[in-house]
Amino acid sequence: MATRTKDIRTDTEELLTEAKAPSQQPLTVPTDKPVAYPLDLPEGEARLRTPAVGQRASRPDGRLHGLGQTQYIDDITFPHMLHAKILRSEYPHAKILSIDTSEAEKMPGVLATLTGDEIPENSFGPTFQDQPVLAYPIVRHRGDGVAAVAAVTEQQATDALEKIKVEYEPLPHVFDPLEALEDDSPKVHGDTNIYTSKTIKKGDVEKALKESEHVFHRQFRTQMVEHVPLEPHASIASWDGNGRVTLWTSLGRITLGREDLARTLKMPQSKIRLIGTVVGGNFGGKNEITNEPILALLSKKAARPVKSVFTRGDEFISSTIRHPFTMDYTTGVDSDGKILARKIRLVLDGGAYCSWTGTTIGKGSILAPGPYNIDNILVEAFAVYTNKTTTGAMRGFGAPQVCFAYESQMDDIADALGIDPLEIRLRNGFSENSLSPTSQTLQSVALKESLTQAAERFGWKEWQE
Amino acid sequence: MRALDYIVPESAAAAVALLNEHGETACPLAGGTDLVVDLKHSPGNVQVLVDVSGLEEFHGIEETERGLRIGSMVTYGEIMENPICIEKIPEVVAASHTVGAVQTRNLGTIGGNLVTCVPSADSAPALMVLDAEVTVTGTDGDRCMPIEDFFVGPRKTILEPHELLADIWIPKKMLGKPSSFSKFGLRKGQALALVNVAAALELDKGKILEPRIALGAVAPTPIRALKAEAFLAGKKPTAELIDEAAQIAVTETKPIDDFRASANYRRQLIRRLTQRVLTRSLEIAAER
Amino acid sequence: MLVEINVNGEPKSADVPPETTLLKMLREDLGLTGAKLGCDVGDCGTCTVIVDGVSVNSCLMMAARANGSNVTTIEGLANANELHPLQEKFEEHGALQCGFCGPGMLISAKSLLDRNPEPTVFEVRDALAGNLCRCTGYTKIIEAVMDAGREMRSGQSGA
Repeated sequence: MATRTKDIRTDTEELLTEAKAPSQQPLTVPTDKPVAYPLDLPEGEARLRTPAVGQRASRPDGRLHGLGQTQYIDDITFPHMLHAKILRSEYPHAKILSIDTSEAEKMPGVLATLTGDEIPENSFGPTFQDQPVLAYPIVRHRGDGVAAVAAVTEQQATDALEKIKVEYEPLPHVFDPLEALEDDSPKVHGDTNIYTSKTIKKGDVEKALKESEHVFHRQFRTQMVEHVPLEPHASIASWDGNGRVTLWTSLGRITLGREDLARTLKMPQSKIRLIGTVVGGNFGGKNEITNEPILALLSKKAARPVKSVFTRGDEFISSTIRHPFTMDYTTGVDSDGKILARKIRLVLDGGAYCSWTGTTIGKGSILAPGPYNIDNILVEAFAVYTNKTTTGAMRGFGAPQVCFAYESQMDDIADALGIDPLEIRLRNGFSENSLSPTSQTLQSVALKESLTQAAERFGWKEWQE
Repeated sequence: MRALDYIVPESAAAAVALLNEHGETACPLAGGTDLVVDLKHSPGNVQVLVDVSGLEEFHGIEETERGLRIGSMVTYGEIMENPICIEKIPEVVAASHTVGAVQTRNLGTIGGNLVTCVPSADSAPALMVLDAEVTVTGTDGDRCMPIEDFFVGPRKTILEPHELLADIWIPKKMLGKPSSFSKFGLRKGQALALVNVAAALELDKGKILEPRIALGAVAPTPIRALKAEAFLAGKKPTAELIDEAAQIAVTETKPIDDFRASANYRRQLIRRLTQRVLTRSLEIAAER
Repeated sequence: MLVEINVNGEPKSADVPPETTLLKMLREDLGLTGAKLGCDVGDCGTCTVIVDGVSVNSCLMMAARANGSNVTTIEGLANANELHPLQEKFEEHGALQCGFCGPGMLISAKSLLDRNPEPTVFEVRDALAGNLCRCTGYTKIIEAVMDAGREMRSGQSGA
């Protein structure tokens, strides 16, 4: 391969060395003409003339961040506050035969314990309410909490966890999503592991595949990804004398969280206050409740505020992760590399509970064919339960996974037909007023312009030579 | 962390006495970059921490008639900034630079790293090719040995429970010897070595003299590639010779398959990195 | 066990169990919550503070070991009248998003510039290798450190 004329590493070094603060850079928006509403300018220009676009702005929280004064949940303490720890399941799938917290309750500093059978309504979830606050009687993944302890210090709470005796009857488990699709696979919930599906049909995909000059088939798999927010999940619960509970929490969706708390605690929403504070990274992983109902109940029992922070280990096994996708792509093209038909099967590894799979499967399916004009499409997507960490929201909601598949296959096709990878995308890519896979007319489409301009800046042509 | 006692002994002898007294329930604490992590997650029987990190006897970097002495409690950060080390053992400095990140190197000690004794300990190959020796101190006094004899197996050294690693010596004749170190990890920082290799040699009338090759992370302990060394000794270096030596080195290793890499990939790395460090050492030797 | 340290120029002390880490003592006993608990095993760098002139992971250092030491935390970076150039530049460049990595990042950057007033981009990356950030992709952080270095150098030569 010839060396590139532009060495991207030295370019980056130069850029980073010379970079000035945004406030020192000139604005690029023409400000000579005053902005008047309504803006009757052509679509693109309108975007350049609004007061906000192109303006320089400073983050309002930048000052406090730099001073180290930003308060995250773990930086908050209350007088007499207790610390809670959660005992996690020993098995990926099991029946709890008995839980005995009596020894734990006698440990120094312990003021309250909690098990799943004490939760007033032990189920929640954004689409299906299939997730327990504390698993009882069935645990469905290693990250399921089965009991909780509140004690004066964190170490006392950790020590007390070791004294909780749980008797499990292990059940057959299923880890592989393709195995979970089968009728004879162990079932995580109910009679089938397929808990949601989506189909998108456009044109006649089988006919178009038969008429294609070339047909490409490949299976792509993506892996589990954990958000790793630098700030672990954290919450504090506290009650007042009027029977109202307040939760300070790293949770992002506080109105939804309040609904979930009202449901699980069997309390009116008017008695529940959620304060979502500054968060140290979310990326989708803090979109739903985790410990909050547990802390509320422990706090009620102990009559003291209770705080809990996930350990980094908890973050990996107990907090939600990105859905692994198994994607089968069958694509028919003509001799010029123009895509005539695309047939896709998506299998989402849906983890032990549904969480945000509904959104993920929707987005994933609609975006699965890629930003390409294709007249004949069939997408069949299934989300299956497995006895693994709950898969939930993570930036992209299914888009990154399918993007990996359709872009990889595009390169496969280009390579097989001897077409430039950039060229094949320009041939197939969306333009203004193209139809999405679900026949939405797309506007403000700048895909080809972006690719072309980017290619010029990277030195694509030089690199090819 | 579970309740523990923390004692700062007044001297090395006092430390040894404490460790002897408490037996398995006591543990010497150096930088803590490995031990403190273990104590948080799997403390075992440890109840007493004997903090040896500040003991005068285990500090200092000095050059004497015997050679270069590095106290076991010298941190990797200190090694990297020390002018004698930079001049006389540059590849040990290079290896030190690949350990963890700045914060790790400011706490982590060379002695602590060698005592933790993971096969991938980064300074080990660089020290081994310089014929380094270590001094161990215990209730029966001091004993000295080649560094290879210090390592027994993964996370196991020859240290008795009451013994401490006191210092590391690089013999005078090995100081400034043409040498090179190379490490391959999955990241450029805070990375465990998949393979690390060091070489040292001299050229005498165009022929290779006293070659040394040491490899880490590819066997239960860091090892010398003795067959490859024997193959090279006395020969005129060529690219083909180097490659053949590298391939012999591969046969002396037992790399594993794990989630970071396959054994096969590691073998390819061993070959490439060994070639690299031999070539670089020869370049330095040729300049002399 | 009584541990006495000099934090940001002020003598402080606390009576803590022997197994307490410096991080825990700073956050819980001294109310200095700038240093964060991100992983507790010395990987993420959010707990970075300076002890006797060198940056360390305070989650790995026993508080008792720091007895008698001089400790600098993020709270000590700005003085009563003005921000440290690093803090200014981080703010101007928009280098932080959620801010959680900020205290550790700034302390590591200060430690670098104190030793090496004119680092290259490579040296900045190397110096910050022990501080993880999940939000920003590091670009603006590096730009801000380079810019702060320039500012600090021009400040010295300008007088």
